[in-house]
Amino acid sequence: MICAGVDAGSRTAKVVLFDSDSLGVAAAGVVDQGIDQDAVADALFVRLIRENGIDPSQVGPVVGTGYGRKLIRFAQKTITEITCQAAGIRHSVPEARTIIDIGGQDSKYLRLNGNGSVADFAMNDRCAAGTGRFLELLAAQLGVRLDRLGEIAALSRNPAIISSMCAVFAETEIVGLLASGITTADIAAGVLASIATRVAAMSGRNLDGPIVLTGGVALVPGMEAALESILGQPVAVAPRPQITCALGAAILAWKSLNGSPTPTA
Amino acid sequence: MAKCRGDRDDVPDCGSTASTGEGQSQNPFAWFDGMIGHCLEYAQAAKAAGKPVVGILCEYTPRELIVAAGGVPVCLCGGSAKTIPAAEQHLPANLCPLIKSTYGYHLLGSNPFLEMADLVVGETTCDGKKKMYELMAESRPMYVLQLPHQANGGAALEYWLAELEKFRAFLEERFGTEITDDKIREAAKLLNRERALRRELAALMKSAHPLLTGRQLIACKSSIWGMTDALRQYERAIELLRGQGGEASSLCEKIASEGARNGRVRVLMTGVPMVHGAERVLDLIEDCGGLAVAMENCTGLKPLAEDIDETAADPLRALAGKYFSLPCSVMTPNDRRIDLLRQLAADYRPECVVELIWQACLTYDVESHRVKRFVEEELKLPYLRIETDYSPSDSARINVRVEALFETVRARR
Repeated sequence: MICAGVDAGSRTAKVVLFDSDSLGVAAAGVVDQGIDQDAVADALFVRLIRENGIDPSQVGPVVGTGYGRKLIRFAQKTITEITCQAAGIRHSVPEARTIIDIGGQDSKYLRLNGNGSVADFAMNDRCAAGTGRFLELLAAQLGVRLDRLGEIAALSRNPAIISSMCAVFAETEIVGLLASGITTADIAAGVLASIATRVAAMSGRNLDGPIVLTGGVALVPGMEAALESILGQPVAVAPRPQITCALGAAILAWKSLNGSPTPTA
Repeated sequence: MAKCRGDRDDVPDCGSTASTGEGQSQNPFAWFDGMIGHCLEYAQAAKAAGKPVVGILCEYTPRELIVAAGGVPVCLCGGSAKTIPAAEQHLPANLCPLIKSTYGYHLLGSNPFLEMADLVVGETTCDGKKKMYELMAESRPMYVLQLPHQANGGAALEYWLAELEKFRAFLEERFGTEITDDKIREAAKLLNRERALRRELAALMKSAHPLLTGRQLIACKSSIWGMTDALRQYERAIELLRGQGGEASSLCEKIASEGARNGRVRVLMTGVPMVHGAERVLDLIEDCGGLAVAMENCTGLKPLAEDIDETAADPLRALAGKYFSLPCSVMTPNDRRIDLLRQLAADYRPECVVELIWQACLTYDVESHRVKRFVEEELKLPYLRIETDYSPSDSARINVRVEALFETVRARR
């Protein structure tokens, strides 16, 4: 049987089809988010089934998660991205004890119990500072492609200090840094460090390891190095970090079939 | 319950209003839905009868002294987002919304209780309020009580007692009356009864299947203390919920079906007060399947936890002792708050603790770290801290956290 997880995030929608016989990912996809979140996710869901030659009658329960989870009409159930992320990471990195998830407009920290369930979590508040959206804005302002930000930051000798609590103010701050002749490399390194600092403020230090970085921002080269240098602890990037939350949703969809009343991984 | 009529007659300052007969026949929850209107009517009648209306802004202000002076104490704390833009003309944006909302009402002249107030009493609790009062005092009759913050200091308590003595003398002079010890004892008796009734109502939430939601419970309170009508409605609500009243059954069944669904997550709320109009986070919690069984805050159980010794030889000292022991985060160290949380956790058996912090409320914000450790390490319960203000823009984000918290709680069951 195929169980599906749909993660309607702020920037992208992800679908994972989980094969409950092989206990592995049968198919997964990521597309840019749109105005009609249900239609975007549904189209991806249908495409994955068709392209992977999956018999639609074999598709079982669907769990929706993410910011737009309540808009996904074809999901029978919704579970928050916190619980789904824990379940997804439990599957892909079973030994993880701390998850740092930096997505489009959220950054989260999750502490896990030994059995993979959530012991504690924290999220950023109203503001998008320290998230993927923040990185996108600042990379655009520097005229640097997001996937090259880490590479450029690695050239920095003296990372700039970016202290603004707000993405909009940080933009202004960067205008000032550029005007005073600070190099792009130093600013890029400063941007990555400011995200890492914000995450560290949310999570505290001396985190239980292993620490896993996931979410779309985990794909930005250099992000894990910036986190390691602030936290003083090793940070591993989750395999396929954009889909771990959708994977967790698919696994929880499967577990709901077994009558498990509790969403633990 | 039967003796309440006798008590009422003993109290000189809380005469009933024109709405008494009507209040008798209404269901109590409908009465509390129209509470502001009832309070307004009461305050207007009192004012017409020559009694002063005294606005208060904090639970540290001893209402008993105001009642003993023949006055009507009314809470002026603002719970509306609508008055905040006006307040931000003078106050910083990054300030507690309760302070801004209260001050916005002051600038707009849109709180009828403030407009009719003969006196506004403030207190030196947090810095934001203190400095706001200075601005308000430019155009309102204002008295500020100097509250010391050394929670366990004997000298601090003596200082507070001296403050209350000064306040007593001020009220006597201002309103041309004498506040005798007996009048303080009478007022203490009246307000003890109000506290006892509200405690009793709140204690119904200890049940494994409470009949009320936290939202319904928090609606059962009056902006003016010592109103006989309100006291009668508390009694009727308790009778009804206990199934003692004749007409109770149909209403109780309705409340039960709304309020006590199986599987709700029992939540202990702590932190800042949720004043009338600012109950959004409570609504979010209960809409996500939670049930706020206890609220350790100034709009919940915090000011109700202790009574005043009505028989004390020195009633002012008894008053000072009760109010000084309120466990607000302005106190240092604030061990009593931890003690109260421990007690409430034992009595109300919550499955998690949610702490609400108004944006820029420094003392509750800083203290939340200690509360979190206490909840996780000693109570062994999941803890969630929500920092927000009166605008609904972050409701979806708060929902995610609350739902995730409840998923965690259910996974532990």
